[in-house]
Amino acid sequence: MKVETLAGEVVKACVAENVDYMIASAFAYGMYGIPRSTKDVDIVLSVKGENVILRVIERLSGQVEFGDQVQFDTLTWGKRHVGKVIGNPQLQVELFELFDDPFVLAQFERKVLLYSPQVGAEIWAPTAEDVLVQKLRWGRAKDLDDARDIIAIQEIKNLEMDYVHHWCGIHKSEERLREAINRIPKDL
Amino acid sequence: MTEEQRQADLIKLQDAIYIDKVRRARTLTPEERLADVFELTNGVLERMLDGVMWQKKIDDIDEAKLVLSHQIQRLRLVRDYERPKLTGLHS
Repeated sequence: MKVETLAGEVVKACVAENVDYMIASAFAYGMYGIPRSTKDVDIVLSVKGENVILRVIERLSGQVEFGDQVQFDTLTWGKRHVGKVIGNPQLQVELFELFDDPFVLAQFERKVLLYSPQVGAEIWAPTAEDVLVQKLRWGRAKDLDDARDIIAIQEIKNLEMDYVHHWCGIHKSEERLREAINRIPKDL
Repeated sequence: MTEEQRQADLIKLQDAIYIDKVRRARTLTPEERLADVFELTNGVLERMLDGVMWQKKIDDIDEAKLVLSHQIQRLRLVRDYERPKLTGLHS
């Protein structure tokens, strides 16, 4: 199964169950940074409504086998449900429950719709500014490289920097933002 | 050539490669960059599978997928080992 087919199946399951979602991780970064490969289809889901996650998991049951255990990923998105793709166990689906954090909620609220011909559907994704703020907040070496890439490719003049500064102020990640900007070669 | 010169040349080369990558990415729309993520992912997984079949002398593709799945799971554990230094979670 190609990864775009898998992403399409997850998106279709969310739409069919009327669940708000947005793509995350490598897909979200790749939209605004330097595209790279991934092994996971990561989706953030709003859990408003009854048995939201279970309904999406049930709808995917022909293609993806989810484990019984919910993993807690409190440093990233909260609860995480991990499923292996049947027939293609090297691919994984991770469903993250939207959790009650002011930035995470704002990011989800500001999500944008784009059409992917490969997926064959419109999909919800975070904005460039939100991916940037999130990367600066997480602050791993890879995240800081990703933050630099997003700024380099999108360019400061095209980013809502007031919004970025607002959240970096709250998250105390302004120094990381300054470093990311300073690491962009001067010729760009 | 001194070590300092070698280091300076290396940085210049790294910057030139990075600038090329950024300039190429700037010519693409978000939709096109997402398409690149799909293409890269499919290509990398295919090559990793070929690599497993060659390295482990496996002819059966389903068996190779299981071995690859195990290897990727180990990569995920390594990735998860570096926890985000998250700021402002409770702000």
